Amino acid sequence: MGGSVTHEEILSVGVDIGTSTTQLIFSRLTIENRASSYAAPRIQIVKKEVVHRSQIYFTPLRSSTEIDAEAVKKILQKEYASAGIQPKDVKTGAVIITGETARKQNANQVLEALASLAGDFVVATAGPDLESVLSARGAGTDQLSQDQRLTMANLDVGGGTTNIGVFEKGKLTGVCCLDIGGRLIRVENGRIAYVYHKIQKLAQSHGIQLGVGDRADPELLGRVCGLMADQLAQALHCRQADGFHRALYTNDGKSLPENPPIQGITYSGGVADCIYNKMEGDPFRYGDVGVLLGQAIRENKDLAKLRLFHPAETIRATVVGAGTHTTEVSGSTIHYVNGRLPVKNVPVLKVSQEDEASLETLREAIRRQLPLYQPEGRAEQIALAFSGKGYTRFAQIQGLAAAITEGMGEVIHSGYPLIVVVEADIGKVLGNAINLLLDFKKDVICIDGIRTQAGDYVDIGEPVAEGHVVPVVVKTLIFNS
Amino acid sequence: MMDKEMLTQIIQQVVAELVQEGQSKAPGGPAPQKEPARTQPPQEEEGCLPDITEIDIREQYLVEHPEHGEAYADLKRNAPCRLGIGKAGTRYKTLPQLEFRAAHSAAQDAVFSDVGDDVIEGQGLFIVKSQCDSKDTYLTRPDLGRKLSREGAQTVRERCKKNPTVQIFVSDGLSSAAVTANIPDLLPSLLQGLQNHRIEVGTPFFVRYGRVGVMDEVSEITGAEVTCVLIGERPGLITAESMSAYIAYRATVGMPEARRTVVSNIHRNGTNPAEAGAHIADVIGLVLEKKASGTDLKL
Amino acid sequence: MILKTKLFGHVYEFKSIREVMAKANEEKSGDKLAGIAAESAEERVAAKVVLANLTLNDLRNSPAVPYEEDEVTRIIQDDVNETIFREFQNMTVAEFREWLLDSNTTSEMIRRASRGITSEIVAGVCKLMSNLDLICGAKKIQVTAHCNTTIGLPGTFSSRLQPNHTTDDPKGILASAMEGFSYGCGDAVLGLNPVDDSVESVARILKMFDEFKNKWEIPTQICVLAHVTTQIAAAEKMGAPLDLVFQSIAGSQMGNEAFGLTGEMLAEGRAAVLSRGTSTGPNVMYFETGQGSELSSEAHNGWDQVTMEARCYGFAKRYQPFLVNTVVGFIGPEYLYDSKQVTRAGLEDHFMGKLTGVPMGCDACYTNHMKTDQNDIENLATLLVAAGCTYLMSIPEGDDCMLMYQCTGYHEIPTLRELFGLRPIPEFDRWLEKMGFSENGKLTSKAGDASVFLSR
Repeated sequence: MGGSVTHEEILSVGVDIGTSTTQLIFSRLTIENRASSYAAPRIQIVKKEVVHRSQIYFTPLRSSTEIDAEAVKKILQKEYASAGIQPKDVKTGAVIITGETARKQNANQVLEALASLAGDFVVATAGPDLESVLSARGAGTDQLSQDQRLTMANLDVGGGTTNIGVFEKGKLTGVCCLDIGGRLIRVENGRIAYVYHKIQKLAQSHGIQLGVGDRADPELLGRVCGLMADQLAQALHCRQADGFHRALYTNDGKSLPENPPIQGITYSGGVADCIYNKMEGDPFRYGDVGVLLGQAIRENKDLAKLRLFHPAETIRATVVGAGTHTTEVSGSTIHYVNGRLPVKNVPVLKVSQEDEASLETLREAIRRQLPLYQPEGRAEQIALAFSGKGYTRFAQIQGLAAAITEGMGEVIHSGYPLIVVVEADIGKVLGNAINLLLDFKKDVICIDGIRTQAGDYVDIGEPVAEGHVVPVVVKTLIFNS
Repeated sequence: MMDKEMLTQIIQQVVAELVQEGQSKAPGGPAPQKEPARTQPPQEEEGCLPDITEIDIREQYLVEHPEHGEAYADLKRNAPCRLGIGKAGTRYKTLPQLEFRAAHSAAQDAVFSDVGDDVIEGQGLFIVKSQCDSKDTYLTRPDLGRKLSREGAQTVRERCKKNPTVQIFVSDGLSSAAVTANIPDLLPSLLQGLQNHRIEVGTPFFVRYGRVGVMDEVSEITGAEVTCVLIGERPGLITAESMSAYIAYRATVGMPEARRTVVSNIHRNGTNPAEAGAHIADVIGLVLEKKASGTDLKL
Repeated sequence: MILKTKLFGHVYEFKSIREVMAKANEEKSGDKLAGIAAESAEERVAAKVVLANLTLNDLRNSPAVPYEEDEVTRIIQDDVNETIFREFQNMTVAEFREWLLDSNTTSEMIRRASRGITSEIVAGVCKLMSNLDLICGAKKIQVTAHCNTTIGLPGTFSSRLQPNHTTDDPKGILASAMEGFSYGCGDAVLGLNPVDDSVESVARILKMFDEFKNKWEIPTQICVLAHVTTQIAAAEKMGAPLDLVFQSIAGSQMGNEAFGLTGEMLAEGRAAVLSRGTSTGPNVMYFETGQGSELSSEAHNGWDQVTMEARCYGFAKRYQPFLVNTVVGFIGPEYLYDSKQVTRAGLEDHFMGKLTGVPMGCDACYTNHMKTDQNDIENLATLLVAAGCTYLMSIPEGDDCMLMYQCTGYHEIPTLRELFGLRPIPEFDRWLEKMGFSENGKLTSKAGDASVFLSR
């Protein structure tokens, strides 16, 4: 027998610009053909390995509302140099702006600028939901939950937010994000220098008045941190939610589903070390309440009922997640045109499972949604996505191709390639059918093995593994606002 | 001896267990199956026993009082094998034994039956024979299965386009069931894929009682640059419908076997036939580009 | 040397020992395919009569492939102890048969004779044996070997656990291995036929097996059945643990070339495991054979498949194997047509292996294009255990989803042990008791519950 033909390593970068810290890691993704050489290829990422971890930098800010893009750029250049890596060597990865930093005025421009600096196919991304998933995966909670066969939550407690990802036996079942973090109250020279307005109100609702300039009383602030820990327990449904709870969700995001109930827990993020280890000495030595928050979480009776596990990463969980867990590979039999990839930040027009039940409803669903993706009334680059699971016979696929070409008329008449993203293993045959229907006149990219949701954005990289697959990053949202 | 009533009871019990298991599953459930129909427990019908061949062996778990049953039920989903089937003394329980026999009956029927003329003609193919006069000769004389009958060779000579870039043909090989199940999707998809590459195709046909090696004679008669046979694989118990494509550049009688490129495991639970056809077209494109096949060609 | 006889007044004259040997075989579709089989039932018996009257010396002097041309012949001939050969050389094949079956001929006496005969002699006497003769003759001969444990001890019957998987999925492989062990299978070896036989994949699975074996302290051996050079590379480049080295072998140099194999590779493989492997030894090789493989690669030199098979065992013996087995019904109906032929071949191969002096097991199996079913394979398995077969294969319900054939299942092993009052290898037996899977050689109610291995 022939054995596997393909064995390729690709370099991925993760950059996390967070509320308090900025970090970078490089990881090596190994992709292999796991099918025998007598069958159609089946290429998978078989190994993910962090090969370089940067120092942890304070996030450079120009003002309280602006990121210092120049300084961030210098950090990147320095770390690329010390790792001996050129941007052109980096095949994939993600730059992510997290927590409160994402609310800075120039966040979007900074992301774009850094993404192109980092490498050709490094994508810019942010959003609390994605951050929750990335930090939990970076902490290794998905794997732990699978190995331990438990439903487990990871709480990434950072400076400005706590991102929560929940896995049931390795499968993601929920994410949420709360405005709870160690730097939401800052302390300078023994006095309170800053209080985030929601935390101020939370304290107030329990009769505690906090004001900038007040003396930083460890006992009082400890009680406020206790209230924050209570809110985390409420978020995990370990405790009945109080009237204030809803207000703490970042950008009014959704809460976790009540089922399956959470059995185990890990903590990551900057505050995690203060949760796992008892800190002696000045509680305000970091200029914030991180140490006190860690202590309050450790001592919270509701959270203590969950089985506690140690994560694979603490403060680096998000950046490891961004660098190693954002990229997937497409199915191994796909249709594309050389020279039209990569494409980045392409919005996904998703046809729902119901709408793809018949060719008529599929076509109409495309026609109905298409104008939403053309705010200026002109065609824009979009990717059509659906599951395709009911369409595996050759005749059905011909029908599918016809419905797509009818529905996507405006895109077909534009200069953009026609991009189709499906889950079922029909990418190549569907691409062929569309290509012939359009009489070779249109660049068609039709990939499979990729699951998307409405509102997602997708990045598709240049082909790897002898051209059999493309790396893909599905981004759940670019900025919640 | 087990009477019919007991058997019905057993089957119904097992089915009930399966249904229960299905219901207790958390939202999201197990990893998506390639073939949704098989994950469903057999449907009950008035006055008719459920179809035991619809039981998904990955989901079936018959061990009594297991220590960590849920964990093993999850683990065994990763293997398409007859695991977690329990025992009666040291022997098999009745239901898995019947499932095994049913699977073997399908495999034997796939080998020992012929592909219906209607199926072949439905695909617009004409039929020729190898030098085997029966299935029995076919099974014991692989040498005869590698040669066309005198009339067969004559028909190919007369009816096929000469010197095509690619000559495609279909053969029953060791599984007639594979031809019936896959060809209606595989063949048109392959032809469409070649059209996509703007590759010219000769006249396709069907060889009854054919072995892979018969492609060498077909290649010589038609003068094709590339020859590709879609042929039934020896059936296993997991599927009796698996097919392979063998592709060779300028095949000649007596050439080494290593000159053939193979794409195997084509069936609805392997590489699905429509997608496989598109893939094979690409492989043929590569064979033409490199003017090589088999071990001489890196895929 | 007389190559001519009469039967019912009709004269049968054969041109060569090769022709006699081929025509004396019981009916096999493979010999017909090769065009060398007896043309009638009477001609078959006539050949047997002629064969019965040939001497062992006649057979030694007619190797299937000439000494000068063939490495396998050289190894077999060079390994003959000439002193012992001289004691037997003037016996006719008929006399040798009767000597083997004689109540006063012991296992020790036969083991000594094994060192003085060639594979053509082994094959010759086999052709004069009925099925029950093959069972009786083999049952007398005890061959033991030691890797991490000792196989072939009196009162024991072992099995290879074969957790094959269509995509080598590690979880799926483990699920199968766990279940096999829970039925008491796997004392001969935990051995996988990989789909992906690259060095990386072989190393990965070997490491996984080693970890599982060590975690549960299972007294057995592990193996991944790739080419010998791949296994050695996995050990040397990727640090894979090697207890045993596997290789498929054939009965002629040309047949081995079709497997990309030379005797030197085997010697090197053996030396590598002995010096750097993870097992105790000294027996560290695992070989598989099967009637018909030489014909399928046109490397039979006009000889019959029984003789070519016997030569595999003569070749194997040089490398002091821990396990040898014949994959008896794998190759298809063009070699073994139906259950009758498969049964015969299984008994022949087992007998010939034991007479050669190797620890012989059998993969009693069939493909779905043969006129055989699971009942036939259960029959053969029972006959083989009656014959003292060292070990059989075991897979989930006898259905190998990866190799697409059927053989003996996990359940068959304890069934046959309990029927014949046999036990696994002693250390393994004690391990089964410790795990609660068996008690006094009988399966407990916990047997078959693979989930026991999922406790934390």
